[in-house]
Amino acid sequence: MARLLGSLVLLLLLALAVGLPRVPMFRQGAEEGVARADVAGAVGTVGERLPDFTLHTLDGARLRLEDLRGHRVLLAFERSLDW
Amino acid sequence: MGRRQCGRKGFVMRARAYRILCGGVGGLLVVAGLALLQLFLRFHSAGFSGEQPELPVPFDAWAVYMAAMAGCACVGWGGSLLGAVRGGPAARTVGSFSALAFALMAIYRMIGWIVGEYAGFARLLRMEAVLFLLIALAFVWLRPPRAGMEA
Repeated sequence: MARLLGSLVLLLLLALAVGLPRVPMFRQGAEEGVARADVAGAVGTVGERLPDFTLHTLDGARLRLEDLRGHRVLLAFERSLDW
Repeated sequence: MGRRQCGRKGFVMRARAYRILCGGVGGLLVVAGLALLQLFLRFHSAGFSGEQPELPVPFDAWAVYMAAMAGCACVGWGGSLLGAVRGGPAARTVGSFSALAFALMAIYRMIGWIVGEYAGFARLLRMEAVLFLLIALAFVWLRPPRAGMEA
């Protein structure tokens, strides 16, 4: 009985280890050199003008890219725990 | 009668496979443990020779400290598995806890893979997780029944 139970748990883990890359939620940022299909083509290439977008600042205000026109803008992307 | 002989033969083959598994994995663990320990020694040898050591990953002083501790534990674990090759009542327990340890090692690799912190080694993490789970399964399946290793 213990052998059967242990085997079931291990086989489940094995299925997870093999199948995780096929789950889109877990694929984000985890696989090396793989572009996400849902964002591919969403951003332009180098030298191309970015489309306008709106972000929320830390204090809840809304910030549009258009409001920063004429200024130098640095966009930094960082992975967070709630991705 | 023939059926009983067949069962006896299967039992002996399983016990032999379990001993080979314990011996092979135990030997590898001892070697891996010593390799981890020498990382610590190589890292700190820079203080004597003045040269920066070339390590496979960018370890800092605390990382090599933990690696050395894990290495010493691996030597002890490997020694236990090598002891299980001789049989005895403890051989079964060593196999059970070895399976648990390999499963835990696979689980933390999968968590590391999901978190994405080790994205540069993503494929290696998954391959290691699969390998460790297969080894854990082997320990579970080949583990002798109670009092089976006393013979």
